[in-house]
Amino acid sequence: MNVGRFMSRFVTRYPGWSRLAVVVLFFALWEILARFWIDKMFLSPPSRVYGEIGKVFATKGVPEALGVTFFELGVAFAFAVMIGLALGLAIGLNSFARRSFMPIVLLLYGIPQITILPLFILYFGIGAPSKIAFGVTHGVFPIVLTLVAGVQNLKPVLMTSARSMGASRWHILRYVLFPHMVPSLFAGMRLGMAGVLLGVLLAELYVSISGIGHFTSMFTQAFDPTRLLGLISILAAMAIALNEIVRRAEAHFSKWRA
Amino acid sequence: MRDPEIAVKIKNVAHYFGEAGDAKHMLALRETTIDFRRGGLLALIGPSGCGKTTLLNVIGGLLTPTQGSVDVCGKTVNGPMPREIAYVFQESALFPWNTIKENIHLGLLFQGVPKNQREDRARQSLETVGLGEFANHYPGQLSGGMRQRAALARALSLDTPVLLMDEPFGALDEQTRMVLGEDLSVLLSRTQKTIIFVTHSLGEAVFLADQVAVFSARPGRIKEVIAVDEPHPRRSGFVKAEKFTRLRNQLYDLLHDEIRKTVDQGSRPGAFL
Amino acid sequence: MTARGVVAARRQTRWRSGLAQIVFLLAVVILWWLAANRWGASPLLLPKPQLVFFELVDILRSGEFWPDLLLTLGEAAAAFAISATLGLATGFFVSVSPALVKVFEPLLAAVNAVPIILFLPLYILFFGLGAPSKIALGATIGFFPIALNTIAGFSSVDRLYVRSARSMGASPAKLVRHVLVPGALPIVLTGLRMGFTVTLLSIIGSETIASLAGLGHQIVNLAEAMEMPRMFAYIVFVIVIAATLNAIVTRFEKRAAARR
Ligand SMILES: Nc1ncnc2c1ncn2[C@@H]1O[C@H](COP(=O)(O)OP(=O)(O)OP(=O)(O)O)[C@@H](O)[C@H]1O
Ligand SMILES: [Mg+2]
Repeated sequence: MNVGRFMSRFVTRYPGWSRLAVVVLFFALWEILARFWIDKMFLSPPSRVYGEIGKVFATKGVPEALGVTFFELGVAFAFAVMIGLALGLAIGLNSFARRSFMPIVLLLYGIPQITILPLFILYFGIGAPSKIAFGVTHGVFPIVLTLVAGVQNLKPVLMTSARSMGASRWHILRYVLFPHMVPSLFAGMRLGMAGVLLGVLLAELYVSISGIGHFTSMFTQAFDPTRLLGLISILAAMAIALNEIVRRAEAHFSKWRA
Repeated sequence: MRDPEIAVKIKNVAHYFGEAGDAKHMLALRETTIDFRRGGLLALIGPSGCGKTTLLNVIGGLLTPTQGSVDVCGKTVNGPMPREIAYVFQESALFPWNTIKENIHLGLLFQGVPKNQREDRARQSLETVGLGEFANHYPGQLSGGMRQRAALARALSLDTPVLLMDEPFGALDEQTRMVLGEDLSVLLSRTQKTIIFVTHSLGEAVFLADQVAVFSARPGRIKEVIAVDEPHPRRSGFVKAEKFTRLRNQLYDLLHDEIRKTVDQGSRPGAFL
Repeated sequence: MTARGVVAARRQTRWRSGLAQIVFLLAVVILWWLAANRWGASPLLLPKPQLVFFELVDILRSGEFWPDLLLTLGEAAAAFAISATLGLATGFFVSVSPALVKVFEPLLAAVNAVPIILFLPLYILFFGLGAPSKIALGATIGFFPIALNTIAGFSSVDRLYVRSARSMGASPAKLVRHVLVPGALPIVLTGLRMGFTVTLLSIIGSETIASLAGLGHQIVNLAEAMEMPRMFAYIVFVIVIAATLNAIVTRFEKRAAARR
C-alpha cells in the first residue's frame, strides 16, 4: 500500500530503531562489498576488523602508543581549557581588552595551523610535547571565542539587581558571572575538544617514526587493512567517547536552560 | 532634623547622562525636590523617556546623580542600600540558573542574612505571593506573571522598609496585571512598607497608589502629585467607582499635554525611527 | 542611536581593529627580528626575518611555487566540487521529509564529531599517495558541514510560507524555486563556506602528513632539509593564500546572502 507513509510513521515513532537500521544497513553493505568485490589488500569486511581487533592490541607497541595518545589528548585538553578560560575571561570581561585583542584572536584563529606543524616538531621534538602543544593551539581558540561571546550576553539587569541586593564583587563573580558562564564554558569545551582531537591526531599521524603514525604507516605499507581499520576504529571510539563525555557534562550543567 | 515620617527625601536632584561638552550629553531629569511619606504606594507616571527610571535608580543608589542628594530612612544614599531598599525590575531579574527558592536564598546571602534564617524567610515570602509549590522551579519553567511574583517574593524576603518597582507588570497581559495589582494592594494593607512604583498605565496608577506623581515631558520633573485617598486593600469594584474614573480622567488630562509635547519633539526614545 | 551613528561607530571599530592587527603583526615581526638578530636565537629554530623575506621574494620571482600551488588548488577545487554536489544533494533530499531528517541528521552529526582525518591512512591505502586520496579525503571532510547546514537551512524555512505559497497555488517546482531555496540560502551558504574551509585545510593537511607534492609537502621537504628561511617563507606564502581564499569565500557568502 502506501510504503512511504508507513515508513514515515515508523520513523516518527521509533527514531532510535530507524537510525540503528540505517547503521546496520551501512555495515551490511560494507561487509558485502568487502567480501565479494573489493580486493582484500585494500578493504576488510567489518566482521573481520571486529574479530581481529585483538591482533591490533597484540601488535608490539600499539597499546603503548594508544595510551600515549590518550594521555596527550587529556593533557592538551586540560591546558586548552585552562588557557582558554583565562584568556576568555581576561578578554571578555574588559571592553578595552576585547576591542584590542579580539581582532588578533580572530586573525590567529584564521591561520591554517597545519602549515606550522613541522615547526612544532622541530621545536618540541617527536614525542608527546609537540603533539600536546599542537592540540592546545587547536583547542584554545574555540574556547576563547565562545567564552568571550558568553560573557557579553549577560543581561545587565542581573548585575544591577545583584548589586541592589548588596552583592560584593566576589558574590557577583561567584553567583552571577560564573553560573552565567557555565553553559558557554561547556559549549567552548565541546568545540575545544574537537580542536584538541584534530590537533593531536594530526600531529600523531604526521610523525611516522613513532606513536600512532608509525603504526598507521606500517599497516598501510603492509597492505593490512584489517589492522589499520582496527586501529582507526579504536581511535575513533576514543574520540567519540571523549566528545560524549563533554557533551553529557554540558547537558547536565545547562539544565536550567530547558 | 530627621523626620521619621519621611521615607524618601529628594533634595535638588538632577541628572545628566554623558560627559559635559559631549554630543551625547543630555539632561534626563530636571532639578527635583520632594519628600515621600512613609507607608503606602507612590506611583510615578509620565511620558516615555521623562526620567522615571533615572529617578528610581538615583533613589536606589544604582546611579549617582549629577547634582543633589537623596535620603532614604534618614540616611544619605551613596550606593545600593540593601537593608533599606529592595528592587523589582521591569524584566525578570531572577537568575535563570537558580530555582525560585535559590534565587531568594541568594538575595538573602547578598544582603548578609545569616544562613539559618534564610530558609524560613524564603518559604514565607513565597507563600505570601502564592508560589509555595513552585519553590523548586527554574524561572524558565514559570509564566511571566509567576516570574514577576517570584521577583516580588525575592524583594519582600529582604524585608526592607522601601520597595522600588520599575514597571514590574509592564510585560504582562491586562488580566494578570489586575490580579497582581489586587495582591499588591492586599500586601500594602498588611505592612508599613513604602513602595515607589513606576507605571505607564493610568488605571494601574489610580488603582494601586496612595499618591500619583505625574512627570512632565522630557527632560522630566515632577509636575503634580495627586492623592488617591482610598484604603487598602482595594477591591476590584473600585475600578467601577465614580472616584476612580474621575481621578483617571484627571491624570489623563495632565498626561495628555505632556505626551503630545514629547511626540512633537520628534525624538521620542524607542520610537520606530 | 541613529542609523548613521551606528554605521559610523561600526566603521570606527573596524578601523580600530584593523589598526590593532597591523600593530600586532608589526610587533611580531620586530620581536622576531630582535630574537633572531640580537638575542642569539638559533638560526635552525628561528631564521632571521630578513632572510625569510629574501627567500619569499625569490620564491615569488622564480615562480617555482606554481606547480605546487596549482596542484593544491586543483585538489581543493575538485574535492570541494564533489563535497558540494553530494552535500547539497544529500541535504536537500533528507530535508524533504521530517522523518528522514530525524533519522539522518543525528547520524551525520555523530560522524561529523569524529576527526575524519583519522581515515587518511585508509584513503592512502585505497587510492595511493597521489591526488585521488587527498581529493577523496577533502571531499569526505567537506561533505558533512555542507550536508548538515543544507538540512538545517531547508528545515529552517517557516512552514507558514510554504503553506501560504501552496494556498496561492504554487507548483512544487515553484515552491522550491521561490520559497524553499531563498529561505534556506543563508544557512546553506554558511555550510558551503565551512565546507570550503575544511576542505582546503584537509588538502594541505594530507599533503603535510603523507604526500609527494603540493604546498604542504613542500613545507615538510624544506623542514626535513633544515632549510629554515625558505620553509618560513613557504609558510607565510601558504598562510596568505589560505587567508585570501577564505576571505573571498566569506565575502561571497555575505554578498549572496544579502542579495537574495
Ligand atoms: N544609560 C544612559 N545613557 C544615556 N542616556 C540615558 C541612559 N539611560 C537613560 N537615558 C536617557 O535619559 C532619559 C530618561 O530615561 P529614563 O530611562 O529615566 O526614562 P523613563 O521615564 O524610565 O522612560 P520609560 O518610560 O520609557 O521607561 C531618556 O531620554 C533616555 O534616553
Ligand atoms: Mg523606564
